[in-house]
Amino acid sequence: MAVRTVLEWLNSCSGCEIAILNIGEALVPLLTRHLELVHAPILMDHKYLGQRGDGTEFNIPEAEVGLVSGGVATVEHLQVLLQMREKCRILIALGTCATHGGIPALMNGQDRKEGWEGVFQTRTTDPGCSVPDVEVPAPLDRVYACDEKVEIDLFLPGCPPNPALIAEVLMAVVEDRDPVLPHKSVCDTCPVIREGKGAVSVVRRFLVNAEFLAEDPIDRMRCLLEQGFMCMGPVTAAGCAGGGLPRCIAARVPCRGCFGPVRRDGNQMLDMMNALASNGSDFKSVVDRRSLLRFSGAHGGLRPLRRKSAAERG
Amino acid sequence: MGTVINIAPITRIEGHAKIAIHLDDQGNVRDTFLHIQSLRGFEKFVEGRPAEEIPRIVTRICGICPWMHHLAANKAVDAAFGVTPPPAGHLLREICQLFAHITDKILHFFFLAAPDFILGPDADYSVRNVMGIVKAEPELAARVVKMRQLGQMMLERLAGKAIHPVAGVVGGFSRPMLEAERQELLRDAETLLDFSCYALDFAKDTVFTRYKDVISELGAITTGFLGTVDRDDGSLRLYDGRQRLMKADSSCIDFEGDRYADHIGEHVEPWSYGKMPYAKSWQEGFSLDPAAPAGIYRSNTLARINVCEKISTPKAQAELEEFRGVFGRPAQQTLLYHYTRLIELIYVCERAVELLQREDVTDTRIRAAAEPRAGRGVGIVEAPRGTLIHDYTTDSNGCITKANLIVGTTHNIGPMNMSVRRAATSLIKGGVYDAGLLNKVEMAVRAYDP
Amino acid sequence: MGFEPKIIAFCCNWCSYAAADLAGTARMQYPHNVRIIRVMCSGMVHPELVLDALSHGADGVIVLGCHLGECHYQDGNRKALARSEVITELLEDFGYETERYEISWLSSSEPDRLVKAFTGITERVRKMGPVNARDLAG
Ligand code: SF4
Ligand code: SF4
Ligand code: SF4
Ligand code: FES
Repeated sequence: MAVRTVLEWLNSCSGCEIAILNIGEALVPLLTRHLELVHAPILMDHKYLGQRGDGTEFNIPEAEVGLVSGGVATVEHLQVLLQMREKCRILIALGTCATHGGIPALMNGQDRKEGWEGVFQTRTTDPGCSVPDVEVPAPLDRVYACDEKVEIDLFLPGCPPNPALIAEVLMAVVEDRDPVLPHKSVCDTCPVIREGKGAVSVVRRFLVNAEFLAEDPIDRMRCLLEQGFMCMGPVTAAGCAGGGLPRCIAARVPCRGCFGPVRRDGNQMLDMMNALASNGSDFKSVVDRRSLLRFSGAHGGLRPLRRKSAAERG
Repeated sequence: MGTVINIAPITRIEGHAKIAIHLDDQGNVRDTFLHIQSLRGFEKFVEGRPAEEIPRIVTRICGICPWMHHLAANKAVDAAFGVTPPPAGHLLREICQLFAHITDKILHFFFLAAPDFILGPDADYSVRNVMGIVKAEPELAARVVKMRQLGQMMLERLAGKAIHPVAGVVGGFSRPMLEAERQELLRDAETLLDFSCYALDFAKDTVFTRYKDVISELGAITTGFLGTVDRDDGSLRLYDGRQRLMKADSSCIDFEGDRYADHIGEHVEPWSYGKMPYAKSWQEGFSLDPAAPAGIYRSNTLARINVCEKISTPKAQAELEEFRGVFGRPAQQTLLYHYTRLIELIYVCERAVELLQREDVTDTRIRAAAEPRAGRGVGIVEAPRGTLIHDYTTDSNGCITKANLIVGTTHNIGPMNMSVRRAATSLIKGGVYDAGLLNKVEMAVRAYDP
Repeated sequence: MGFEPKIIAFCCNWCSYAAADLAGTARMQYPHNVRIIRVMCSGMVHPELVLDALSHGADGVIVLGCHLGECHYQDGNRKALARSEVITELLEDFGYETERYEISWLSSSEPDRLVKAFTGITERVRKMGPVNARDLAG
């Protein structure tokens, strides 16, 4: 029997949903035979307030499994998430926004009020614009990962998550077994040449390309971190490697950590700085280190910079 | 007190929005609102970040067209740092943009919009979707899924990461294309070109002829248009060119991208997080009244097809001529977005084939070294959903001090509001309506592919 | 009643924990605010442990190891020193004052230095107030 399934997106970009569609050949049988979608705004027309739009009660149908992408940033996201938890037996956080806040949680490092006002007062907005507040869902005090608000049964990070792993998780639900998911770091899945530590004294910005020969495969290229570029492979959960290569490394570009920390409650910035310091690199050469938390700024990771007290300001 | 009909969420679109239709005591439409629900703060939280990292961050504005943000951002950072990518760097970026347009158009037309036409606007919601198409038209569906996947895989092969790409870099591209890859991609692009011709024929037969009335009426409004054209011959351009703002009377102003702020302003309404761009340089203010709009122009496929003089590739040009012969220039009917989307699909496939036939795409000089510096750069590309503008200012360390983004979809937020009003007013009378009618109102939004 | 800070002290097994032992046997007084956690070597104290302590209610953290050059695992304390720079540098990013953290060296025969270090950080943090005062004050 097909498994009743709900898809929802909160503060998301829909990349997670596109990743589902990228499952490829297995997609059609998955969507039409193994799963029965009962609510999925990107693909089908089930409405919260009834198909005639006159209901008074917010409603998502009951389901065996729910996939939710995006973090929780507004009162509406919270309402949808709570409803998902209530209606779905297994709730899966899909994508790094849902598991760790993702890119939108960069907002957590900003002063909220100033930030929102800034968005509506740019070079091109009419003078005197203010933040809309009529019939639009109010923002929460910060961007949350889903597990900060409800209990989550399964975490599937990635920005976007790997389609192969999405398929694995869904098939595991269908077959009623535990999914097989990776648990190492990106470096553990990366075939580049590593010669050992010590070579890097300062960390370079990615302003020139890595050194490699065009026709050489990736396993003939020197590790990007050892080439002196910031590469977050050591502090990032494995999983992106489709076809055997971490995706950014396949493009000869360093990893920026989009699968979140290796241990779910790890701290990518701290871990990266610690790794650099332990290897004798000058960690202060990293420009804008808070960017290392660009995918994992929920769970209190990113906060507005502390305002100095009167005493400290002197 | 009148009632409010809520279409929430709007479905089969990319993004978070709802429609509220306010009825008066007689059950006629008094007012309609398209509320954009999401607020994320990209312009703000890129501040302080090193500019060369921005193309890897702003991709998350949209997971359906991350390539467009990636490339517009790269162009803006190039300009801010004053670096010019070598020709192959630009070519590789443009090829990726074309691939991304291909998959996007297939996705939008077949997965999101087509259920309304193939299964009918009044079909029950539980079957009126892509799963329903699989059941009703299994062969077509299998082909569509395969073609879309092919496009995504071409991107992955060339650029490592297809969703939220990383291969565009300040100064050019991160890896060259190998000769073997070129030949393979060329073959695949030819396959997609075949499919795109088939797709337009299919749509002409089964959609545009069958739904003639719906197309000429649903959500029809009269506006201006914005798009990008070739600097020399005014032909359709997506990666680079000059911006053209056309009035409903077909008079045009052309301008270079970095002057965009002279021409475009953004209006904010308290009931939507989506800002509404308008043509400031027309000096007629801003009004969403469908009977007397002011400052309103549209973007996206219909707009691009309207503003261009011609299309540089033969098959798409032939389609353009046929289209203009029937609908004129500028064509205003909202549902023609679908038609022009498929013409553009043919163009992007033809253009991809054309570029992949060039031997210089495999040149290994793909990136110019960049130095961080204080500056300002505007980067513009045509995204599937419209003219996409990224504008960054950097400090002497090359970090962002100010950013302004006008995202493709937002140009159409005002017009979508007008189309919704038009559709709702003509469909809902005396409080009589049903789920199918409400879906038609949504179809007016889906045409824009927001 | 005035504010009594909670201080977490990571003491390496070979020198600083031994010194604490000695302080106990010698009945030397040190502030009761300090909770000692024994680790094999100061080099084992990952910055995450320090951040975790602060985010779980500690108001100050001190790491104590053997004098430089005398680490029982050769260069564990040099590693600790390098990490310490990271910690001091990053505390502000996570919203904590740098003065809530300190690292110090002593030998097993220097319980007086231990007492001084404990008293020092306790006094300093007491003046600073609780770690979350800022959040509470909005
Ligand atoms: S995790 Fe990434 S792909 Fe998924 S919604 Fe968030 S930004 Fe988009
Ligand atoms: S640091 Fe980067 S390049 Fe080096 S092994 Fe890890 S992921 Fe690969
Ligand atoms: S290499 Fe790193 S940033 Fe790139 S896709 Fe993999 S986890 Fe994400
Ligand atoms: S054993 Fe004391 S610091 Fe290493």
